[in-house]
Amino acid sequence: MNNNLQQQHDRTMVRVQQGLDRRYRQEKRFQRIGLGAIILGLVFVSFLFISIIANGYTAFQQTYVKIDVNFDPEMIAPIGETDQEVLSKANYGGLVKKTLRDMFPEVTNRREKKVLYSLVSTGASFQLRDMVMQDPALIGTQQSVWVLADDDVDMLIKGHIDLNVPESDRRIKNNQMAWIQSLQAEDRIEKRFNTIFFSAGDSREPELSGIKGAVHGSFFTLMICLLISFPVGVAAAVYLEEFAPKNRWTDIIEVNINNLAAVPSIVFGLLGLAVFINFFGLPRSVPLVGGLVLALMTLPTIIIASRAALKSVPPSIREAALGVGASPMQTITHHVLPLAMPGMLTGTIIGMAQALGETAPLLMIGMVAFIVDIPGGPFDPSAVLPVQIYLWADSPERAFVERTSAAIMVLLAFLISMNLLAVWLRKKFERRW
Amino acid sequence: MNEMTSGHTVKAFTEELDSINQLVIELGELGLDQLRRAVQTLMDEDTKEAGLVIDRDRELNEIDIKADEEIIRLIAKRQPVAKDLRDILTVQKIITDLERVGDEARKIANLTIHFYDNGKPPPSNEILRDIYDMATFVDDMLNKSLQAFVKVDLKIALDVIEQEKRLFDEFRGSLRRLSTFLMEDSRSVGHVVDIVLALRALERIGGHAKNIGGHVIFLITGKDVRHENLSAIYSEVADLA
Amino acid sequence: MEEFVNESGVVTKPLNPEAATEVDMQASYEQHGSGTVGEIYVDDPRMTCRNVNVYYGEKQAIFDVNLDIGKNQVISMIGPSGCGKSTFLRCLNRMNDTIDVCRVTGQIKMDDQDIYDGGLDVVPLRASVGMVFQKPNPFPKSIYDNIAYGPRIHGLSDNAKHLDEIVESSLTRAGLWEEVKDRMDQPGTGLSGGQQQRLCIARAIAVSPEVILMDEPCSALDPIATAKIEELIDELRENYTIAIVTHSMQQAARVSQRTAYFHLGKLIEVGETDQIFTNPRHKLTEDYITGRFG
Repeated sequence: MNNNLQQQHDRTMVRVQQGLDRRYRQEKRFQRIGLGAIILGLVFVSFLFISIIANGYTAFQQTYVKIDVNFDPEMIAPIGETDQEVLSKANYGGLVKKTLRDMFPEVTNRREKKVLYSLVSTGASFQLRDMVMQDPALIGTQQSVWVLADDDVDMLIKGHIDLNVPESDRRIKNNQMAWIQSLQAEDRIEKRFNTIFFSAGDSREPELSGIKGAVHGSFFTLMICLLISFPVGVAAAVYLEEFAPKNRWTDIIEVNINNLAAVPSIVFGLLGLAVFINFFGLPRSVPLVGGLVLALMTLPTIIIASRAALKSVPPSIREAALGVGASPMQTITHHVLPLAMPGMLTGTIIGMAQALGETAPLLMIGMVAFIVDIPGGPFDPSAVLPVQIYLWADSPERAFVERTSAAIMVLLAFLISMNLLAVWLRKKFERRW
Repeated sequence: MNEMTSGHTVKAFTEELDSINQLVIELGELGLDQLRRAVQTLMDEDTKEAGLVIDRDRELNEIDIKADEEIIRLIAKRQPVAKDLRDILTVQKIITDLERVGDEARKIANLTIHFYDNGKPPPSNEILRDIYDMATFVDDMLNKSLQAFVKVDLKIALDVIEQEKRLFDEFRGSLRRLSTFLMEDSRSVGHVVDIVLALRALERIGGHAKNIGGHVIFLITGKDVRHENLSAIYSEVADLA
Repeated sequence: MEEFVNESGVVTKPLNPEAATEVDMQASYEQHGSGTVGEIYVDDPRMTCRNVNVYYGEKQAIFDVNLDIGKNQVISMIGPSGCGKSTFLRCLNRMNDTIDVCRVTGQIKMDDQDIYDGGLDVVPLRASVGMVFQKPNPFPKSIYDNIAYGPRIHGLSDNAKHLDEIVESSLTRAGLWEEVKDRMDQPGTGLSGGQQQRLCIARAIAVSPEVILMDEPCSALDPIATAKIEELIDELRENYTIAIVTHSMQQAARVSQRTAYFHLGKLIEVGETDQIFTNPRHKLTEDYITGRFG
């Protein structure tokens, strides 16, 4: 018998040895496939980031042109008045044009003059107006002022315009080239950090457009979304997990919540349009409605995450609390919720990040409108970041391309920081028991 | 081996219990054999054989020590409770009793040497008869007590305890008969004293057999009946018998 | 034992025929309607259970259990897995209420108040029948808050100083005060397993219960920690009534005065621990404690 077993053992060892190489090869192959998948993913992600950053980083700088403005009292306040009303209505556009004409006296042709004027942004006149209104003493003096260059000039300076293309197909003509070169020779052209991008709303002029309006819109939308979806989601999760009887109805509710999480987001947009705007008559394009719609969309995510967080609180903690005589409500508010909160917050932040990047449902409720003003509250019409990106991506100007990428970078930065916040919360408040 | 030890989930436990129970049987057989041979040497006047019996007592002592070691090991390893615990305690006590049986048998063998190896005239067969009668009686008791243990039989155990009472009467009767020898011939006093000692040894063996019966009753019922009279024992175990 | 009992502790086939005849054979001993061998009554009961049946949905987990729990006594409940001993223990402070499908019939009285028919509300019941669980389960809070939680929710302390006193005396009684007095604000979960379990006992003591239920309190502990808990149980007996479920028969033998043996949801035998462990009357009890279950 023993002998028999020994023989069997020997045979087993031989067989095992024979198959060993093949097993290890399989293992190695499997590892390589997994590694390959990860590398492929990383390649795509880095390609995405590189292309966005390469396209967008220049948007954080903006070209300025120095012009010598003669604040001619004749043109601003002919009778020496310093009334704000009068000052604000003066013809600063003319002033800019005159300044340019003075700087390039050789330009006389009417058409050429027009081209000359387009060297600086239409925003230059507002800049002069603001200067004068802030300090009326400027009137009658000669000042060197850095004003915004036009987006085409900006593109040329940043090297985005291909000079090998025939002049007729080029946004910058040869004569403009000559003027710009002469300005550069006088050190009158300079690139500065683009504060306008962060402090302005949308605009038809790329050099005057910024994301502040969209950021504000996103902020208000998310706040509304958070205020509605978090309490409702947590309450629903607590009820379903802790109080609801386990029967067919709760099963149906559970299945439906899981299904809702998979519903295409545009359907929520249609729902919002039908309910909030058509039925309740709320205004279009406002963060309030956007927030409500996104709240609907985020609710299933939050409920599912919150229920998972509640489930992960060990039953021993509940038993401990019940065992010393706590009521079910006390057990939940004193022990279960605090322990589940990090998980719930993580789920909420993930849901919020999802809502932040959402475009489709907002298109349905009219948040795609062109809005220049920066919204001051959730009832002001506004855009949100992803819609702004969508709008800019649609614009033909070359300068909007880099702004699109820059806005994507800002959006990604928000998303990444929200995810990091979620990770940090989880790490910080994760309890061991 | 029997229903006392079998059925443990851990089979090694059963085996260990069996092995100490086996030691009891081994020692019991040895003790019984020693008793018979010792008495036989007296009959055969065989002093050489008597020496062998005395030497053989060492074997019994060895088994006694071995059993003690096994029991300590078993208690430490298995922490027995209930009938296992009673079994082990009973085994230990029976072993002690059997070892004493061996000692008493040795005394009888010593007597053989004393009678037939000192040049003095040996005692007459007539005077030795009491020893043979009593030996037969005690042999039966010891045999039964071992049977009671092996078969875990309450009835046999009770029989043995009852027999012990008659043994005592027998012992008294023998003493009376011996006193008549003394009256006839006062020179026989040396022999009579020796024979009384042998009878005493046999009576002790009967006592040990009774103890074993009591241990078996404890093993079966969990009740300690050693120091009670018969009627109390009967009333205690009545509902179990 | 797997072949007799399924997961939920419910009988899947009747007691084996041998055991049944054994019960008949034992008929001359005290017999109760429930078929329990031994003395179910005590002179001075703290809790009395009569005809207790427990059902999980359709399945019956406890059959007709009658048992008294004596004052200032430790009663241990032993039996194979799924025999219903834990289920029975959890009936005593209505911990089974948290299970939807669980239904209890019969009568469980504590000091003449029926705990199931509204004589005693569940919150005061749990305050007077504390519980210690298998796995040490301190709240993930400070040591102080762990003990203070019960007194706080029941409003037992008049002021902060009084609460401090309750905490200190509870920890002292649980034999933990000397070990933790310098780190009361550290989390209870940072203690060792044995300390955590004593913290849980202190937490139960803090609401001044009359009865403490312990559900395998040492099964997650090493032998030294177990010995400390056992010593503590022996000390607590002076002031509390303790019912303990344990898988360790040696532990039952060491700490309890009475022992109840459960099998397939039935209370088979109950009696003085000394008697149960030297001379059990029922064959099932004997087979279980001598390790003859297969």
